[in-house]
This record gives sequence, C-alpha cells and structure tokens, in this order.
Amino acid sequence: MKALNSSFRDPSGFVFQQDNQIFRVVNNSYRDNYDSLMSKLYPVLTQAKLLIPHTEIDFDTTKNTHQYKLLQAEKIPFISYPYEWSFSQYQDAALSTLAIQKKALQQDMTLKDASAYNIQFHKGKAIFIDTLSFEKYEEGSPWLAYGQFCRHFLAPLALMSYHDPRMGAMMRDYIDGIPLDLASRLLPFRSRFRVPLFLHIHLHASSQKRHANSENHTAKSNRKISRAAMMGLIDSLENGIKKLRLKTNTTEWGAYYEETILSDDYLAKKQRLVSGFLENTNAKLTWDLGANDGTFSRLAAQRAYTISFDIDHLAVEYNYLKIKEKKEKNILPLLLDLTNPSPAIGWNNEERNSVFKREKPDLILALALVHHLAISNNVPLHKLAAFFAELTSQLIIEFVPKSDPRVRTLLATREDIFPDYTQVGFEAAFNKYFTIKNQQKIEGTDRILYLMAQK
Amino acid sequence: MLDFILLYLDPGTGSLIVQAIIAGFLALAFYFKMAKNAVTDWVLGLFGKKRTTEEELTNDESTQ
Repeated sequence: MKALNSSFRDPSGFVFQQDNQIFRVVNNSYRDNYDSLMSKLYPVLTQAKLLIPHTEIDFDTTKNTHQYKLLQAEKIPFISYPYEWSFSQYQDAALSTLAIQKKALQQDMTLKDASAYNIQFHKGKAIFIDTLSFEKYEEGSPWLAYGQFCRHFLAPLALMSYHDPRMGAMMRDYIDGIPLDLASRLLPFRSRFRVPLFLHIHLHASSQKRHANSENHTAKSNRKISRAAMMGLIDSLENGIKKLRLKTNTTEWGAYYEETILSDDYLAKKQRLVSGFLENTNAKLTWDLGANDGTFSRLAAQRAYTISFDIDHLAVEYNYLKIKEKKEKNILPLLLDLTNPSPAIGWNNEERNSVFKREKPDLILALALVHHLAISNNVPLHKLAAFFAELTSQLIIEFVPKSDPRVRTLLATREDIFPDYTQVGFEAAFNKYFTIKNQQKIEGTDRILYLMAQK
Repeated sequence: MLDFILLYLDPGTGSLIVQAIIAGFLALAFYFKMAKNAVTDWVLGLFGKKRTTEEELTNDESTQ
C-alpha cells in the first residue's frame, strides 16, 4: 500500500488506492482528534453532505502498531483542481469550507487546513474530502488555517471578481494559494473599501510583511482570540466571499447555442443522432470535450457520469449554475484548454496529476471540436487520432469540413495550409486506431457524425 | 547569498498577528449580528413568524 503522491504532508495518516477504491490510514497520533470528530461532528457534516462519508475497515493491528484505523472513503468519480473551476464553483468550495469550520467550532473542533484541494465536487455539490483535517479547538487559540484560507480562496475569488475570471488560472502557478502581497498589489484600490477584503487581504498582507522577520513577535502572536472573535472572523470571510460577483459579458462561446447561425433545427437533429449513437456505447465515465454549456453532456449523463470540459469560463459557469438549479448529480463541468491542458504540478511534479493522468474515460464526445484543434491550433489529423486513441476506447466525433461556414470563418484570415483536412483524410487518420461503427451526415449541413470504437 | 531574506521570511506569524489585531472588531461585529438576530426574532415572534436560519437552509438543501 503506497500513499498517493498528494498524501505526504500530514503525519496524522495517509491515503492510498487499491482495487480502484480509496482508503485512508489513521495513525495513533491522530487518535484523540479522530474519536472526537466521530463522536459528534462527523454525523453533522455527513448529514449536511459537507464531508465525504467513510466506513471503518477491520485490519491487523499487530502488524501496524502505529496505525489506529483503516477507513474506506466514498470514491469521488473524478478529481478536479481549483484552476479548473468556474467562479461559482470556486465560491461554493469556499463557502462549504467556512460552513464546515462553523459547524466544527460549534462542536469544539477546528479545521487545521483550509486548502482548496481538500474540496471536490461530488453529486453536484462541493464536499470536503480530508477527514484528518480536524483537530480539537481550544478557546483562545487563533485559526491556524486562516492564512491558507485567504490564499486559497479569498485572494483568487477577489481577483476573479475584480478583474477577470481567468485570474483563477493563477492557482496553477501557486500551489499553496496566491501570495497575499501579490493579491494586494493586483487588486484595485477600491477593493480596500470593502471591509472583508481590507482586513483579510490588504491588512493581512501588510501584517505578514511587517512581522516576516521580526524576532520579538511572540507576545502579539500569542494573544488570545475569543470564540466570538473566531465566529466573527468566519462571518466576515463568509460575507466577503458571498458579496463577490462575477462580471459577466458575452465571450466568444458564452451564447454559442443561443446566437448561433446554426439553428434549433440543427441542434435537435444532432441531439437525435447523438442519442442514437449513445445507445450503442457502454461507459462508466464519459468526457465531453468542448462541451460548451453541456447540452450534449446531459444526454451522455443519462447513461454515465460525465465530465463537461470547456475552455470558456462563462460556458462552464453557466453549466454549473444549471446543475445547481436542476440539482443534477451526474455532470461535472470543468475548465480545460486542450491546447494547453492542466499539467502535473507540485512536489516532484506529481502532487497534482495532469488531467490525462486522472480517471480515464471510456467514451469521449468531441462535437464541433476537431476543426478548432486541426485548423486554429494546427494539430495534424494523425496526431489528433493518436490523442483520442490514447485516452478512450469509444468515440463520438463530429467532422466539420472546409465547406462549413464556421471553418470558412476560421480560414478567412489565414492561409489554407491544411490539404489533408478532408473527410477522406480524417477517416484515414482515425482508421489507424478506430473502427467506424456508424456515420451519419447531419441533415442540412456538410457535417458528419461518427461513432468509433478502438481496434 | 542564499542565507538572505526571502528564504527565511515567515508569513505564518503575520497571519496570526492580524487575527489578534482585528479580533476586537470581529467580536463586536459578531455580537452585533447576534443582537440583530435576537431583535428580528422578537419582532417576527410578535407576528407569529420565524426567521429562516442558515442552518435550516443547509438542511433543506441536503434533504432534497
């Protein structure tokens, strides 16, 4: 049993994977805190669906004397990271963390970590996955995870709200959250007039700077923080985060389906064809690449858990808000730029996996996508076919030929250096890895939809 | 040269000290909120109504 690459910091225990299940070892050093968690807080948090449930598994205590418990945690179908979340997903992750801290304080416990990586999306909701992050709260002690909470949640959300939702991508560079001095410099001056941002980012950053190398700070840092001040701190962070809003304006793709020259009729026909193809697939996990607002992901989600990837922030945001509104449990929308996908980051470049090294799909939907990769990004068709073959055994893919108005737009301002970009060239490239099980022209267009299975 | 500034700076101390600095203000804000809730409850009580607490909102969501 080898600990996961992300599980090495906490001496309280570690996480490992076996037979596709997730287990957590609780060490004896965490015994008191674990018992305290299980006695009152665990039922409260799991009932509110804020903490991932687990079951205790029998194990041989004579062989593992320093281990106290073995837990099997409910498995999250797909792990995602903060730089892949839209604004509202990120905001919900932050509010869930604070809701947990509030409930913990009511039961005399506190979160010792407030990392954004401890939150995952499960059944349409943000849920906390690190069972060993709780410790007993002693009245008077400060919140040790406060700095981390501000770096991991408040700073990126404030930057996304004040500037642009794409600022969330900074979390890819700063694995332990955006440094507060940087956030403070990047935020506009008017952000100082919002009390929570003034206190928790600007004043916080200058306090960090002032006391960073002072040696006689112990008296001040040992000052007691009353329970009321602690509750006030959580309230203030909560208010600050709740008031942050996303500035919306239409983007390249935001209203793709609504404003498209491609009609409702086209959409309806394509939906019928995709539904028919889906009936001949068998998947546990589906990826919809270039999913936009998730119209087709919803068809796939009727059969399998579906990850709805898109490059556009507003599309992912809109998709997530729809999931919340309709209480959908089988779809997870995430941000992904296929021309520069989420890399492996962190210690030894293996703490957080690249998107392709997480749970692989059994089926990929690539609708109206290939022309963007082949023409806008110059990826040769044979490389595209190899890319899909590496990832999945089943593929529903749409070929959009040069005669299509959308491709004509892409080619309008550039030289056509794509002599192989034809239906024949496309089929030849994919035939190397896949068998074409079905192909249908989408009526009224030159587009062709394929159902393929790996050879 | 590496024995120089950045590597030995400790942002943790500043995070603890800022909590101590703003503690009084935050406690006051918390008491004010409690008082406001108590007054709201009393006024609503006169009309036989009840304030929906955050707790109830969360529970509603989780039972759906």
